[in-house]
Amino acid sequence: MKADSDTIAAIATAPGEGAISVVRVSGPGSLEIADRIFRCRGPLPSQRAGGSFVYGYVIHEGTVADEGLLLIYRAPRSYTREDSIEIQGHGGSAASQRILRAILDAGARPANPGEFTQRAFLNGRIDLLQAEAVLDLIRARSDRAAAAALDQMEGRLSRIFGLMYDRLLRLAAEMEATLDFGDEELPPTILQDVALRLQAVEQEMALVLSTWGEGHLLREGALVVIGGKPNVGKSTLLNSLLGTQRAIVNQVPGTTRDTIEEHMVIDGYPVRIVDTAGLRDTDCEVEGEGIRRARHSIQKADILIYMMDASGEVDEEDLAALRAKDEGHTIILANKSDLAISESIRSYMTKTTVIACSLVRNEGIAEIKQRIADQLKSQSSSIHHSAISERHRKILVLAIKDIQEALLILRDKDAEIPLASSHIRSALEHLGEANGRVYHEELLQNIFSRFCIGK
Amino acid sequence: MQYEVIVVGAGHAGCEAALAAARMGATTALITLQSQAIARMSCNPAVGGIAKSHIVCEIDSLGGEMARNTDYTGIQFRTLNTKKGPAVQAFRVQCDKDAYSLRMQAVVRAAPNLSVIEAAVDGLQCHSGRVCGVVLNDQSVIQANTVILTTGTFLRGMIHIGAKQYPGGRNGEPAVPNLSLQLRQMGFRIGRLKTGTPPRIRKESIAWEKLSVQPGEEPPSFFSDEVRQEQMFHVEHCESGSSLESSCGRSGQALFHVEQSALRPWSPGWCQVPCYITHTTTETHAIIRENLSKSSMYGGNITGTGVRYCPSIEDKIVKFADKDSHHVFLEPEGRTHPDIYPNGTSNSLPEDIQERMIRSIPGMERAVFSKWAYAIEYDFCDPTQLFHSLESKIIEGLYMAGQINGTTGYEEAAGQGFLAGVNAVRKCRGLNSWTLSRTESYIGVLIDDLVTKGTNEPYRMFTSRAEYRLLLRQDNACFRMLPHAKEIGIVGSEVLNRWQRQAQEIRTEIARLEKTASQAGTLAQMLRRTGVSYADLNGALPLDSKVVEQVEIEVKYAGYITRESQQALKLQQIDSQLIPNWINYDSIQTLRYECREKLKRLRPESIGQAARISGVTPADIAILAIVIKRGEGTR
Ligand SMILES: Cc1cc2nc3c(=O)[nH]c(=O)nc-3n(C[C@H](O)[C@H](O)[C@H](O)COP(=O)(O)OP(=O)(O)OC[C@H]3O[C@@H](n4cnc5c(N)ncnc54)[C@H](O)[C@@H]3O)c2cc1C
Ligand SMILES: Nc1nc2c(ncn2[C@@H]2O[C@H](COP(=O)(O)OP(=O)(O)OP(=O)(O)O)[C@@H](O)[C@H]2O)c(=O)[nH]1
Ligand SMILES: [Mg+2]
Repeated sequence: MKADSDTIAAIATAPGEGAISVVRVSGPGSLEIADRIFRCRGPLPSQRAGGSFVYGYVIHEGTVADEGLLLIYRAPRSYTREDSIEIQGHGGSAASQRILRAILDAGARPANPGEFTQRAFLNGRIDLLQAEAVLDLIRARSDRAAAAALDQMEGRLSRIFGLMYDRLLRLAAEMEATLDFGDEELPPTILQDVALRLQAVEQEMALVLSTWGEGHLLREGALVVIGGKPNVGKSTLLNSLLGTQRAIVNQVPGTTRDTIEEHMVIDGYPVRIVDTAGLRDTDCEVEGEGIRRARHSIQKADILIYMMDASGEVDEEDLAALRAKDEGHTIILANKSDLAISESIRSYMTKTTVIACSLVRNEGIAEIKQRIADQLKSQSSSIHHSAISERHRKILVLAIKDIQEALLILRDKDAEIPLASSHIRSALEHLGEANGRVYHEELLQNIFSRFCIGK
Repeated sequence: MQYEVIVVGAGHAGCEAALAAARMGATTALITLQSQAIARMSCNPAVGGIAKSHIVCEIDSLGGEMARNTDYTGIQFRTLNTKKGPAVQAFRVQCDKDAYSLRMQAVVRAAPNLSVIEAAVDGLQCHSGRVCGVVLNDQSVIQANTVILTTGTFLRGMIHIGAKQYPGGRNGEPAVPNLSLQLRQMGFRIGRLKTGTPPRIRKESIAWEKLSVQPGEEPPSFFSDEVRQEQMFHVEHCESGSSLESSCGRSGQALFHVEQSALRPWSPGWCQVPCYITHTTTETHAIIRENLSKSSMYGGNITGTGVRYCPSIEDKIVKFADKDSHHVFLEPEGRTHPDIYPNGTSNSLPEDIQERMIRSIPGMERAVFSKWAYAIEYDFCDPTQLFHSLESKIIEGLYMAGQINGTTGYEEAAGQGFLAGVNAVRKCRGLNSWTLSRTESYIGVLIDDLVTKGTNEPYRMFTSRAEYRLLLRQDNACFRMLPHAKEIGIVGSEVLNRWQRQAQEIRTEIARLEKTASQAGTLAQMLRRTGVSYADLNGALPLDSKVVEQVEIEVKYAGYITRESQQALKLQQIDSQLIPNWINYDSIQTLRYECREKLKRLRPESIGQAARISGVTPADIAILAIVIKRGEGTR
């Protein structure tokens, strides 16, 4: 008995913020995948010797996903005795997930629990004594994955997948019915607007994929922008969060002239944090350009940290800036609480959640970080089990591709339904993987419950 | 007398089983209740239809009889799904019901090594887990190395008409009371299913002029490759007075036709007979609704599960209450047969209600009944107790095929019968079993579904059941079956050589088209354009039509065919990983309990089959693979 011949990938390091993360790939396509996603000096990865390593960049969708080391193993000299690669990148689940995503998009499939060890065993790498341990490992990991899946089962994600599956199954049932039964047995309206209805499902899926949020949050890092009027302490906050004296802090209002962008990791999420020029009317051309850039950043922000002076007034300028952003995407701070909290701020705090802080006294930093982390989490759609969410994304992408192909076929008025149907079956098979449903078993059920067929 | 193979029941499964065995050279006995009921069509006098047609073509390519028997006795030929592409295209042939049975009788009688015995089999004789013969109802025993049960709807058959119920295997034929009880004692799980049939109406009582006509198609499309090849110059007939045997030419292939007296000279497909279409009315529906409680099914007399896709008219009216009319097809039972079959009116209402109901349908206002509609309940044997060879896992040498396995339909029965017949002979010869995979045939899909998933309603074939629909077309059946046909050895070498040559020509020609350039791209690319046929190509060769057809399809659908072939290959890989006999599921504690129980009960033959069992997860399969590998290491 031999292991399967496809190529699998998984994050090998434990979740959490280790110093490095390792993503492992095994199977005959490993080196080809490395060629596709890894940029380095000198020869392509596939031209390199087994046992060697090289520094370079992981590229995904045209941008750098991470930098790190690529290790090359050639069969049979690897853990699984297959061609394998390992990419060691930055620590933190976000970095490793970006790498994994690049690898999956390049043609690997997510490994099942314990699959690397299983392959190692099937290929004769691990001896018989260890086999028992392998069995326990597979059982344990798959139970854990199942528990995680169960968590989701009640959740939004699984409901969404269930809905999409059902709608697609209905369409598939109609198509299949026209193939397995004569026209005179079927309602004349069958397949009416099938392309439109299919398109609706596809759009829904595309929407789920895009509002996933997590996608770009992970790839580029969430854009967190600190905004507010001059001199409220924005640059001070940037420095506090980064733990360095990155930005110039001064009591002169209008100190910061240009936007300053820095990278950091908050709770495993990559974040691009931006300090901006204070918002006010100005005649100075340089400051004016800075403010224009500040507004632009605020507009694009995934999270806006809007800062006010706790001892000052909430004015129309503040309210206008806050109105421009969704509530779920703003965190409002009242800084300098050590000085005083004005009546105006106090009454504002009764209407809205405002974090009072004093950055010079180091008060409130932890709370601010926590709020950022919470918002990142909710924006990335409350999926915490990374392996599973990665799988879901891949499934959606494949299903959408199939539906698009089906739509292409259906554009032709003499379209052959079996061809479109072949893609829809494939899409259903992908979606079914997400929630353990098997379309073969449900298709006929669906046909018979809806159409009176059979002579 | 000790037979190598005994086949019990000469229905559609039994005839194929017995013919296959005998043609492979095994001494075979076909034991059946009535020899004039051989290959009787219990229900609809039609063969083929969507997905079933594929099975018929596969049977033909393997050397079975159903296709030829249908072509020679067909009275209306039609092609279905013509606009939906080659994958789902299908033939449906209306047969002369009596002729169908008579011709098959002649073929069976003429087959070498085959004895027909008219008797009722009451039980099996077994010795230490192996079958060794059958016991007839006079307690005499006939010995055999292998036994194939193809008993159809006869096991504890119970016929229902309204409140009336009485034992019967089929209209006017007795039920078989003991056999299924014995099977149960041996440890087989036995279940109960039901099906039904419409009444039969005298032709002369129908007002044809009110109905729309559904004519046959010209030229007729034949299932059988041989009939297609020969019909132009071959006339099957038998001189009056000559014995059937002497008119049967090559190696027992009966060259006989039952209608030669009516039409002479006669050739298959001549003089087709039309069908007619009418419909139920609101009155029909009202009558049924008012009398629902008198129907055996709705009155609660029947417990067996019915056929969703062949619903009784009661079912249609209850479940689809919003429809106020359903089609009814009036199909002749034969060229000269006095009855028509009103397709779509299957029911189990009492006689008087049947009469009122039928007479509310346009064209049948004065209908005279020659047979009443009825429903029948019968025992079937859970097919997950069989291997893919259709040999039972419980008793060695015992095979089952046809409706006894929970299927419905002549074609499904015949496909299983053929495969069981071949395997019984191979068993006698000490050869390994012969199976068909889901990736290469509808028969393979059928049998894999049955033995892996079982069924809780009468199982019928649909193209939706096949994963690789673009690969499993009826037009390429002979090429798909070619390696198997060679191995089995029933199909003559002349025919095999022709298919072989054609297959080669197809491959060569596709390769040529792929690499020959034309004005715009290769010839293959030209052929892929819509509306372009092979003949339009610059440099088309004078190939025979079968080859041209295949080249066109294979080139036009190349993308899909490649895609499905790749998927099929994966399935073949896991299907070829066999689960060894020494496996002991109880000792694999890492498997979940429910999974262990399922595997113990089903005893899958391969990793692939195990993976198709519902509820078995990829983790379970991974564990199983490791246990097998470990076991192989220590052995
Ligand atoms: C009322 C009715 C309605 C049906 N309706 C449909 C339908 O709507 N659609 C459809 O696709 N199919 C229908 N069928 C099913 C179709 O007829 C069968 O699926 C098909 O004929 C099964 O073939 P078989 O070879 O398994 O059995 P059968 O054709 O039933 O043949 C069984 C044979 O075994 C013989 N036999 C049985 N027991 C013994 C014994 N102990 N000893 C000796 N001989 C024995 C019988 O005499 C008979 O010749 C219907 C069948 C019936 C009876
Ligand atoms: N009392 C008090 N002073 C603070 C606090 N935080 C910042 N400051 C002071 O406020 C002044 C302005 O701070 P910055 O961080 O430069 O303010 P800014 O919002 O970046 O200002 P611009 O760049 O000019 O828009 C500095 O003198 C800081 O030391 C605080 O919590 N309490
Ligand atoms: Mg500043």
